[in-house]
Amino acid sequence: MTRENARPAAGDMAGGAARGPHDAPDHAPDDAPGPFERALARAAELWALGGGALLCAVVLMNVWSVVASAVAGAPFPGDFELTEMGVCVAVFAFLPHCQMSGANVTADIFTMGASRRWLAAFSLAGSLAALCFSALLLWRMWFGMTDQMTYGYTTAILQIPHWQAFALILPSLALLAAASAATLARDLRALLRS
Amino acid sequence: MNDALATGLGGLAVLVALIALRMPIAYAMILVGGVGVALLNGPDIFMSQLKTLAYGQFSIYDLSVVPMFVLMGAIATRAGLSRDLFRAAAAWLGWLPGGAAMSAIAACAGFGAVCGSSLATASTMGQVALPELRRLGYSDALATGTLAAGGVLGILIPPSVVLVIYAVIVEANIVTMFMAALIPGILAVLLFLATIALYVRLRPEAGPAAPRPTRAELTEASLRVLPVLGIFALVIGGIYLGFFNPTPAASIGAFLVWIYGAARGTVGLKALRGALLETARTTGMIYLILLGAEMLKIFMSRGGVPQAMAEWMANSGLAPMAVLLILLAALIALGCLMDSLSMILLVIPFFWPALVEINGGDYVPAAEAAFGMTTEDLKVWFGILALIVVELGLITPPVGMNVFVISALSGGVPMRRTFLGVAPFFFAELIRVGLLIALPALTLWLPRALS
Amino acid sequence: QEYVFKLHHFLSAKAPAHARMLEPWARRVEANSGGKVKIEIYPAMSLGGKPPELIQQVRDGVVDLVWTVNGYTPGAFPRTEAFELPGVFLNDPAAANVAMRRMFDDELSKDYDGVEVMFLHVHAGQGIHMVDKLVRKPEDFAGLKLRIPTRTGAWAIEALGAAPVAMPVPELPQALSKKVVDGALIPWEIIAPLRLQQQTRYQIEGHDQTRIGTTTFQVSMNKARWDSLPDDVKKAFRDASDEDWLREVGRIWRASDDAGIALAVSAGNEHVVLTPEETDALLAALEPVQRRWIEEVSARGIDGAALIARARALMAQNASR
Ligand code: NA
Ligand code: NA
Repeated sequence: MTRENARPAAGDMAGGAARGPHDAPDHAPDDAPGPFERALARAAELWALGGGALLCAVVLMNVWSVVASAVAGAPFPGDFELTEMGVCVAVFAFLPHCQMSGANVTADIFTMGASRRWLAAFSLAGSLAALCFSALLLWRMWFGMTDQMTYGYTTAILQIPHWQAFALILPSLALLAAASAATLARDLRALLRS
Repeated sequence: MNDALATGLGGLAVLVALIALRMPIAYAMILVGGVGVALLNGPDIFMSQLKTLAYGQFSIYDLSVVPMFVLMGAIATRAGLSRDLFRAAAAWLGWLPGGAAMSAIAACAGFGAVCGSSLATASTMGQVALPELRRLGYSDALATGTLAAGGVLGILIPPSVVLVIYAVIVEANIVTMFMAALIPGILAVLLFLATIALYVRLRPEAGPAAPRPTRAELTEASLRVLPVLGIFALVIGGIYLGFFNPTPAASIGAFLVWIYGAARGTVGLKALRGALLETARTTGMIYLILLGAEMLKIFMSRGGVPQAMAEWMANSGLAPMAVLLILLAALIALGCLMDSLSMILLVIPFFWPALVEINGGDYVPAAEAAFGMTTEDLKVWFGILALIVVELGLITPPVGMNVFVISALSGGVPMRRTFLGVAPFFFAELIRVGLLIALPALTLWLPRALS
Repeated sequence: QEYVFKLHHFLSAKAPAHARMLEPWARRVEANSGGKVKIEIYPAMSLGGKPPELIQQVRDGVVDLVWTVNGYTPGAFPRTEAFELPGVFLNDPAAANVAMRRMFDDELSKDYDGVEVMFLHVHAGQGIHMVDKLVRKPEDFAGLKLRIPTRTGAWAIEALGAAPVAMPVPELPQALSKKVVDGALIPWEIIAPLRLQQQTRYQIEGHDQTRIGTTTFQVSMNKARWDSLPDDVKKAFRDASDEDWLREVGRIWRASDDAGIALAVSAGNEHVVLTPEETDALLAALEPVQRRWIEEVSARGIDGAALIARARALMAQNASR
């Protein structure tokens, strides 16, 4: 079985059917998140909303482009590359919130009967993978950004330097690493307690 | 077996093991892909590729339609579209035996026309229609089974996120795929309606008829559903008729649904915030899997796996149709365990080159092709078939996500009963797959007629 | 084999560029090396990433060799871009290929940090494909929407008073058939793979096959890998990429282009060839593109006017027609 823990659409109301591994019923009251974790969840949420606002801007730009193209025969200049870049930056901004809210596709058919201790261990491994990967990606994309600067890569029409997009993405990755560290700590606590 | 196939199978075995141990699928793919490349060609290559790979993957223009459709569906869920759809459908069909269940199917189809996801369709329509079916005294099996099956229409009626991903993987035109999906989608609706009709003929007590609506009620309910139909006509009609490409079309759809919800007072700042966060979770999840799948692809390509797999299948001596049926059966079986998106990303990159090879290559004329159609047509036909069978995974035991969602919503209907209720629809789907295999024109006619 | 190279590119294995250019070149290198070299070609981005990443992949050694379009990273190859300008490249791909080779050491090599260029080449030039409107004079372009081929191609479209529209090549047929764009600047060679004969009515080019600029491509090797090779292996690559080969590449692209226009004509399309006067008028209207380019690259310390002059002189000197 696969669980889409993001509670896609209306999942907020769909209750426990599609819940994330870190959601309520699995946790005893003493699992309540600490202040650091709560602040981080809040930050990730705000950051994702910033990405969402950017996505809305891309939506509006596309609407504008279609209307202007139909009415005045002139599409929004560079609509294509702005869409690519805007969506890309927005999606990176979504990732920390995904990690904090357990929005990952996991298959739990083989582990349905596992004990809480084992479940906590599996969850820990997932958080560890997320932490390693986000830290690795942060490090590598830093060099990706310097490459973009060194060789002067830009978009075709508006000639926006690609490193500027990287500069917006790196904070998302840093936040993703922090979020992974937080879920790792949470899983570790759960493992120790079980 | 040669080295390449051994590499591929080894990698896949580790992948499945990681997934079975609850590793998020995206990270399992990233881990296997990264370690695999490092073992094959040294760690430096993977490290260098990471500098730009994620940026490149996340900025593929064709994929930008995914967050737009997700956003549109997330806003539509909150805008109250679902209630209007169900009320209109119930006004027209509700007085038939099993009519309220038929209305739920029709409303699911309507909601699927503005939403690209099955789960969203199932849960949204479930909240609206389940209480009504209950009130009318429908059996638990029919009520929950209908909604779990109806949710599948969210993906089968365009727009569809899974179809976009398929198109990107095999380099098909998204618009062509959306056109091809329409007639099979309508066929699904008709077969589901027929299934309900047959069901209540055999068990009349399972789906009693509702009273006939007054003329005024009928008019009122029909008028209220016009905005939804208008938005669908503009978005999908605009794509079909070529007024705009998918991404601008999805943008217009998201924008109009938002305006509609704001005008009705259902989408305020709070609902918008919820829609954006839901879009963030769903989109982030999809893109992370896409990145993982790309890394897995790099590992498999470097190991020579897709080529070896294509050759092996082409030389297996099986009839082309037998290979196709085996592939579809494998997807149905896999659907018991995995979600549709991961399946498409994991399996299509291997299946598709094999089918091309069997068909006779990229540019084979239809007359000489093993499947009797050009590879371009095969791409479209196979895509629709694959889409249907991967979506079946949502309603097959041991665990189908749609069944989970609906069982949870119903508050007390055991999962087993929902699976029983959904079984007739599963067989209707098998009949549909059979029809589409026997008559490829059902899939291929509309794209041809429109271009 | 002692030396195995991975060559990565973005087109399918059935594309003429793969089957008629990259495959034969790879086999030439292998033959020259007496069997010491093996070049594995990976088409269709099968080693991952999207096409604009190719150049960085070869710089980083993710792959050993790439074939890529310079314009995928706009402005990153400013000197070579001179050859893409309308009015500089006219109608002779073979001459352009040889001219780029002759200018390479002194004038162009600064564009190619981190890679060792095997050869540079162009396609047969941007023709004008129109859905239903025949354009012959600069005034005819006013208010039209045209798909851009390159960064400077966008400037050319602006200079003609039309609106440049960027879109991925695979979306072009749909965009043309529904008139999202009125036409496109792209070579004839693309007609067959995209079935453009079905979406367009006119294929328009200047007198004597004069086109509106072209696109430059490179086949390049990772620099460190190149430096690590012994002289005889280097020689195998160099010999396979000599000036005879560059002229052959010009012929290969010309032949694909001819096949494309023949297909369009046989499908009933109108192949419009402008008169010499009309061609001159069009090129005159595109003059501002060269000025804009010279101005832009001069800000980066590059003498654009001198590059254009030298490119023209060398193409004339090596004319194949
Ligand atoms: Na849909
Ligand atoms: Na299933």
